[in-house]
Amino acid sequence: MKKLEPGMAYKTSKLNKIFAFLSVLFLMVVVWVFLDDYIRPWKAVQIEAIKIKKAKLEEKLKKVEGDIDEKRLATLQTQLDQASKKVSTRRKEVFAIDKELKQVLKEIKSETIINGTLNSQVSARTFLYEQVQVKIKKVIAKGKEPSEGLFDKKKAIFDDLKSFKGRFLASKDKMKFLQADQKRLTKQKLALNKEVTETNKKIKEIVTTKELLELALEKTKMGPIFAIRNAPFVDFLDPTLKIQQIVLENITDDRYFQQVPKVDRCITCHTFIDKPGYEDQENPHRTHPKLDLMVGRDSPHPMKKSGCTSCHSGDGHRVNDFQSIAHWPEDKEQRAEWVKKYKWHEPHRIATPMLKLSQTEASCVKCHQGVEHIPGATVLNEGRQNIEKFGCYGCHKIKGWEHKRKPGPSLYKIASKVDKEFFKNWVWSPKSFNKHAMMPSFFAQSNNSKPEFMRKNIAEVNAMAEFLWDKSKSYRPFMKYTGGDAKAGKELASSVGCMGCHGMEGAEKVSEKIGAYAGPFLSGTGSKVDPDWLVSWLKKPSHYQEDTIMPSFRLSDREANNIAAYLLSLKNKEFEAKRFAPLDRSARDEVLLAYFTAFDSEEVAHAKLNKLTDRQKTLELGYRSVGKYGCYSCHNIDGFAGRSPIGPELTNEGSKPLTQFGFGIQKEVEHSRDGWIKAHLLDPRRWDKGIDKPFQDLTRMPMFYLSEREAETMTIAIIGQVNDKIPLIGVKQLDAREAIVEKGMKVINKFNCVGCHEVDGYRGDILAKYEDDLNEGPPRLVGEGHRVQLDWFHYFLDNVYPIRPWLKVRMPSYNLTDEERNTIVTMFQYKAGQKALVDRSKIVNWKAGEKQAAKELWEELACASCHSSGFNQDEPQAPNLFFARRRLRPSWTKKWLKDPQAILPGTLMPSFWEDGESQAPDILGGDSEAQMDVLVKYMYDMGTEKLPTKNTKYWSKQ
Amino acid sequence: MREFINWMADPIRSFPVVCVLFFLMMKYYRIVGTKKFLYLALAFIIPTAIWFGSDPNFFTILILPDNIPIIILLVLVGYLQWFTLYKSAENDKRIEAGLCPIEGLPENREKVWCWPNLVYTELFCIIAATCFLVVWAIIFKAPLEEPANPTWAPNPAKAPWYFLGLQEMLVYFDPWMAGVVLPGVVVVGLIAIPYIDTNPKGNGYFTIMERPLAMWGFLFGWLVLWIYLIIVGTFLRGPNWTFYGPFEYWDYHKVVAEYNVNLSEFLWIKGLNTSMPQNMFLREILGIVVSLGYVFVLPPMMAASKFGKGMIEKIGNMRYYILVMLFLLMMSLPIKMVLRWLFSLKYIVALPELELNL
Repeated sequence: MKKLEPGMAYKTSKLNKIFAFLSVLFLMVVVWVFLDDYIRPWKAVQIEAIKIKKAKLEEKLKKVEGDIDEKRLATLQTQLDQASKKVSTRRKEVFAIDKELKQVLKEIKSETIINGTLNSQVSARTFLYEQVQVKIKKVIAKGKEPSEGLFDKKKAIFDDLKSFKGRFLASKDKMKFLQADQKRLTKQKLALNKEVTETNKKIKEIVTTKELLELALEKTKMGPIFAIRNAPFVDFLDPTLKIQQIVLENITDDRYFQQVPKVDRCITCHTFIDKPGYEDQENPHRTHPKLDLMVGRDSPHPMKKSGCTSCHSGDGHRVNDFQSIAHWPEDKEQRAEWVKKYKWHEPHRIATPMLKLSQTEASCVKCHQGVEHIPGATVLNEGRQNIEKFGCYGCHKIKGWEHKRKPGPSLYKIASKVDKEFFKNWVWSPKSFNKHAMMPSFFAQSNNSKPEFMRKNIAEVNAMAEFLWDKSKSYRPFMKYTGGDAKAGKELASSVGCMGCHGMEGAEKVSEKIGAYAGPFLSGTGSKVDPDWLVSWLKKPSHYQEDTIMPSFRLSDREANNIAAYLLSLKNKEFEAKRFAPLDRSARDEVLLAYFTAFDSEEVAHAKLNKLTDRQKTLELGYRSVGKYGCYSCHNIDGFAGRSPIGPELTNEGSKPLTQFGFGIQKEVEHSRDGWIKAHLLDPRRWDKGIDKPFQDLTRMPMFYLSEREAETMTIAIIGQVNDKIPLIGVKQLDAREAIVEKGMKVINKFNCVGCHEVDGYRGDILAKYEDDLNEGPPRLVGEGHRVQLDWFHYFLDNVYPIRPWLKVRMPSYNLTDEERNTIVTMFQYKAGQKALVDRSKIVNWKAGEKQAAKELWEELACASCHSSGFNQDEPQAPNLFFARRRLRPSWTKKWLKDPQAILPGTLMPSFWEDGESQAPDILGGDSEAQMDVLVKYMYDMGTEKLPTKNTKYWSKQ
Repeated sequence: MREFINWMADPIRSFPVVCVLFFLMMKYYRIVGTKKFLYLALAFIIPTAIWFGSDPNFFTILILPDNIPIIILLVLVGYLQWFTLYKSAENDKRIEAGLCPIEGLPENREKVWCWPNLVYTELFCIIAATCFLVVWAIIFKAPLEEPANPTWAPNPAKAPWYFLGLQEMLVYFDPWMAGVVLPGVVVVGLIAIPYIDTNPKGNGYFTIMERPLAMWGFLFGWLVLWIYLIIVGTFLRGPNWTFYGPFEYWDYHKVVAEYNVNLSEFLWIKGLNTSMPQNMFLREILGIVVSLGYVFVLPPMMAASKFGKGMIEKIGNMRYYILVMLFLLMMSLPIKMVLRWLFSLKYIVALPELELNL
């Protein structure tokens, strides 16, 4: 051991060495800190984006340069040279003018000074004068005589002011002359330079784009200035690489008890999201694929107003790395790719991770509420239609769906419609009777097919049947089935319009094409209903059920019998042969006892049970089972009015915390909201798998046998149901007009008008059947409120008569309330933006010669060859024009004449005035407008004021 | 084996084991405090630690960013504890032989300059510690999460590591006791130590032999009632503050059968087979008597014993009673724990009407 200095524990040189080492270490650490802070993933992305932009600009520049007409540019250049030579010969003149101009400018300058000085003098004198004035007034107000001096002073100031004002005005005048001189001289100078300026202008025109592009390209340069601005330590000043953000005042984020404006920083990496021209790039540099609808500056949802995560969800304000935003992959492949590329993992404890790309439409519902149909949201609309189709809203309350009817038929009079045996077998397995049945299956599912459970289920079904039959009111059909021609019936049923609401056995292909769901798929009807009931139902549905939406087709007795004969011929023998197991009394008592013991001790429950008679026990179990399975949620059942639906509310399902979804032991289900919902829709009973549950706790949500696609679209519609509080300013508000239209759309959907009629491009399901000739199908309603007069429309809805005699499909007669009828009529009116009524007395005002011209036109264009009703004996191929007076609006009629194809593409009505060129040039001098006008008048002149009744056949005036 | 360790780790079993280990350590500190023992212990601990870490469930808990400092601290605590015992063993041997402790040797009593010997080295430590902290902060990013949501608490919701012992106490005590009274007493007690402990032995050197009561008492409180509870709280308490063995998966749905009964219920319902009296003080009479007895009868009884008399002689009445009160309060924790495990005892005195539960 070496000797240490006295008073020292260590050697100083050793200490110094340690200090040196630590200092260097510390320096390195500090550098590391700055680098760690400086290197951010998004900076690399932005640099990449600049490179892409540069490449694009260079490419464009090349193209623009190629487009420049070099020859022309060269000639212009020589022209310019010549011009400047020419101009230079006038140098002397220019010089003289310049001199003069200089002098004028100098004078203007000096005059400006004089003018300003005088102006200020005038103001000052005015002030003094007013002051004296006030002083005098004050003295007078006191009742004294003002002194002479005061008046003298006033006069002196006034004179002074007068002289200044005079000089000021004179100076102003002089200024005007000088300015005129300046203008004249400048003009002269320009005239002398004319050739050069003009040529320059021409050259500029050619090269502007190029120069602009070059300027833009200049900005993408990553030179020394770029490096300095973005260097570590100094990049707080004015960096070019920085986090970009959108702050949305009209959409807020819920920061728990406080709403703060949404901040989206997605554009930090998605640089070109709102810039067209980058569609060919890979993400994140790609342009938004639907720029005309979203993000684009002129779209209804501009980026600055709608942001990103308002639709896509996710943590838009976090840009640390790819993970922190809570990106979510679309499918397994993408998931694997991201795991590899970004070390992606499922985000933890993020309340709203990003929606899968294919599910983004779910977010539309956030702001577009209370509407039946959101244009552009194809998948979402499909999902919502599926929700309607399968009646999810029956059991699960969803805000905004309350107005919908119960999805199933009323069971008030069930006993007179089907027999008990059918009922039990049907409830046990609806699909075994009708594979298109919309009624879901409750029994014999994966969680309740143990013999012990089956036994109890059978007792429940038996009891439910007894209960419903006990409650059922009596009903006597008003018609007897007298037999009919099944073949003719089939023909009629498939053509008269049934298929707008019903699918039909024997026409599966067409049914699938139409996809109707408002009514049941007609299959095995012969094994189901009573013949007399069926005929009565077909003839007048409201006789059996007052509030049915099934309309009357005004069938004759014969027609009704024919259709009935056809429907009765559809039998399901296999189902008919089924015999349902009889009521097992011990199982019934066991289940009942379980109900009773829930609230009473076993002894009391036993006593309660023993008090009941055998019949009472059965009815009690039936009542409880209807409640247990929630039958009343979809069907009207006596004794259950006012009970709230059985399922949990779905209004805010999309915001339910993931931890509240019971995944059970289903490990293969994706651990996300949509994963759970989709799995649940496909097989609701799966959560019970492998879990030993007692009978009364089994999951009851029934099996709908949905297709993958149906489940997917419904999932999208459901996860859109969130409880985000969006300020009113950010939500789509229906204006008065839209609100009325929306109200009407609800009625139209209720009665499934859109099953047959396409309303301004929306649905019209049955038209799929008439692909070959749309004119054979129900008329498409395009701007219907403009086409027809409202009083006629209102009358027609209640008194349907044939307008297009060639159609086999019939407009049925609905059982509309006055309010519903009015709503439909006003809806079409507002949809087309029309006034309510047309003053028919003012349409026909003939001027000299017009009527004659109209008659000639009528003959020339051979209108009566198609619109033949009342004119000749030909089979009419177009509507009866005698009815047009009451039915059509004149302005629409003229528009129609002008270009029928523009309104109804594919219509048989020819265009006689194509491109404004009349086909009858001899009449009215070939003036198309005048010709159309007189023809419209002619039509209204011959038309009748009387409205046709149901019995009116075809109108004849002659 | 893993099953067995999981089973053993439950505080019901591991607490007595830790107590026994503590007893053995203190009893045979001269064996523990040797380098040979340290090497043997390391030879055992390192493979064991690796084996523990190889379990995926335990590994996930280990590498939680919150838990890394705890692991570092545990290693430090273990080493420093051994170092204490090592130095104490060395000194005690010398003292037994009639020599002075090592720190008392003349060459160790020599004085050196404060600058640069102390100040310079302190600067080194500051720089080195800063470097260490910075590098740590860079490599293990702060476990920041999304903005806090009062309606969506994390499960398990854990206190900072230094409070985990307190949080563990909450399992056995009313929040008032475990959250306010006992921590207060701990702080006051620690402040009071220099005033109570007037024994000049051990100043400037390690020894156990010369001050057994202080060493045993303090180390029991420190190692068993504080460090051990932190370990339990960190590694063995999972969702819902349920106990999970080190190799057990933290299943959010784990259900534990637990039903605790008050002492008064034991007395009236189980013991006397009658209903609970209306008067709350009468109802809790047994608990009140026992508690008062614990606090007011036990100290004088101890004072009357031979050991107590000796103590009072040495440090005086005042110091003696304060020390005994502190000790009794400290011991109330293990007592309550044992009672809970053995009898599912909820509270000795349960007066929720007065917010007073003991």
